[in-house]
Amino acid sequence: MKVYNGSEQTDASTTERIKVGIAEYDVSTNGAVLTTSGLGSCIGVAVRDEAVGASGLVHVMLPAADEVDGGNPAKFADTGVETLVAEMERVGADRADMIAKIAGGSDMLDFSKDGSGIGARNADVVKETLEEMDIPVVNEDVGGDHGRSLRFEGSSGDLVVKSANMDSRRL
Amino acid sequence: MKVDIQSLGTFNQLAHEGAQQATASMAQMTGIDAAVDVTKITLVDRDDIGEHLDDRNFVGVQFDFEGELSGQTALVMDQSCSETLTDALLPGDSAADMAESGVKEIGNIMMSGFIDGWADYLETTIDHSPPTYIEGIGRDVIPDSKTVEGDDDSADQLFVFKSQIEWLEESVDFYIYMLPDYDSLTDLMMTHADTAGDAIPIDKLQVFNRMTERGTEKAADNVSMMTGIETEAEVSQISFARIEDVPKQIGNAQYVGTVVEFTGLPSGFLLVLFDEQSAKNVAEALMPTDVDSDELTDQHTAAIEELGNIMTSGFVDGWANVLETSVDHTPPRLVHDMGQAILDPLAAQVGQHQEHAFIIDSRMQTDDIEFEAEIHALPNEQELREALDELMVERAEETEADPDELFQ
Repeated sequence: MKVYNGSEQTDASTTERIKVGIAEYDVSTNGAVLTTSGLGSCIGVAVRDEAVGASGLVHVMLPAADEVDGGNPAKFADTGVETLVAEMERVGADRADMIAKIAGGSDMLDFSKDGSGIGARNADVVKETLEEMDIPVVNEDVGGDHGRSLRFEGSSGDLVVKSANMDSRRL
Repeated sequence: MKVDIQSLGTFNQLAHEGAQQATASMAQMTGIDAAVDVTKITLVDRDDIGEHLDDRNFVGVQFDFEGELSGQTALVMDQSCSETLTDALLPGDSAADMAESGVKEIGNIMMSGFIDGWADYLETTIDHSPPTYIEGIGRDVIPDSKTVEGDDDSADQLFVFKSQIEWLEESVDFYIYMLPDYDSLTDLMMTHADTAGDAIPIDKLQVFNRMTERGTEKAADNVSMMTGIETEAEVSQISFARIEDVPKQIGNAQYVGTVVEFTGLPSGFLLVLFDEQSAKNVAEALMPTDVDSDELTDQHTAAIEELGNIMTSGFVDGWANVLETSVDHTPPRLVHDMGQAILDPLAAQVGQHQEHAFIIDSRMQTDDIEFEAEIHALPNEQELREALDELMVERAEETEADPDELFQ
């Protein structure tokens, strides 16, 4: 039975589910659920333009593209966010209407001596890049010392954050 | 015999793109949405190829290929996957012979694309045989690559390109294997190597694999000594993959274990991981009294921390012996989290300096209780290269003669 009552309940049999891997991104305009799993120091950036019903998710791994050689823009916080936003615009979203929610950037297993771990730097660069683009971060679940898995619901714009040994949070 | 890192990366990329092409052909034919999850090159014992396939019935298609690159390639899937595929291709007709022809047809389309991709890149012709339908339980389904004449040592271990294909709707096992003849592949890699600067002595990787095996045996001995559970080292292998594919080496189930950073030549990270049930079982073997809890308690995790420490020492000592260097490590940090989330911060730390990574994996298990432990090491690539070079110069005789002697 399908119920179209506009509630947050999505019908699993009709909603498309798109899995976003590490250093990958995807965009949907049909209310699909975008998921990504096993974020440690990585960050999931969920961007939405409600007016056109577009949502996108990128799973970035390292802070800045210019620190490392290597071609895949979705691997890095700065170029990953830029690429996602460009792809959102390509499907008709307007940057001025976009909002962002972010999760991840744990500092678990950070062996760096100066305390500036990759998780925290990832979070900083994601926020700076979004700020430069005037896209507000409306909600976040960042840091800590645990892993996370994300589910970004295209129908509601909710970002559901699941962690090991903890209740899930809805951003 | 040296191969540069760049060409390892290129070959890995080639296998990945080939698998993507093959998967796209399959998706187009059947309308089933699938994507290539991971592609890696693994150096592994011939006997251990496909060891991760469990005791289910697998079917697939196999080709021989020859030309500038020769060997075998196979598309392998579990039974339920083949049924779904065949059904998508020939709706309503699930007779066994149709299933076989369906798998063969899909296999033919997928694998031709895969091999053509290689031929294009290498600017050469690679001929392949007609597809052969294969079936078997677990790893028996995988074709053994041809034995090199004269029983050359180099044939004991093979480079295997493995792509795992993920099907978005269902959890199914679907793989593309490519098993090039060892000499054919290494000759080709050398032809495509363009600098000597970052070259890795590829024959030394085999010795390194043996070291890992001995290290794992030592670690297993330590477990046996501490717990009284007879534990055996199983598979040891070294793989090469893109940094972003490194965290996918571990499943996303919950793991318990320890992580250390080791320093020396090479430096890197070492993980000892247990699935939750194994962790509970092995920890209880260490505890003086019975624990009345289904959950992992602090007592359990304390025992795991101790065990992780002793296993790490055993493993690292094994390495240090051969390399004749001291390998120090930090105190173990206890982790209990999603597998992929444990590995991703480590991959990211290594990934600040390199685009690809070597991953050393080994496993131990026991028949006594439900118990399995994994050891993963993530060395700094450049330092690993230097270590291998040194190994060649200083210990070449010993290591080539018999790695066993070094661990007495």
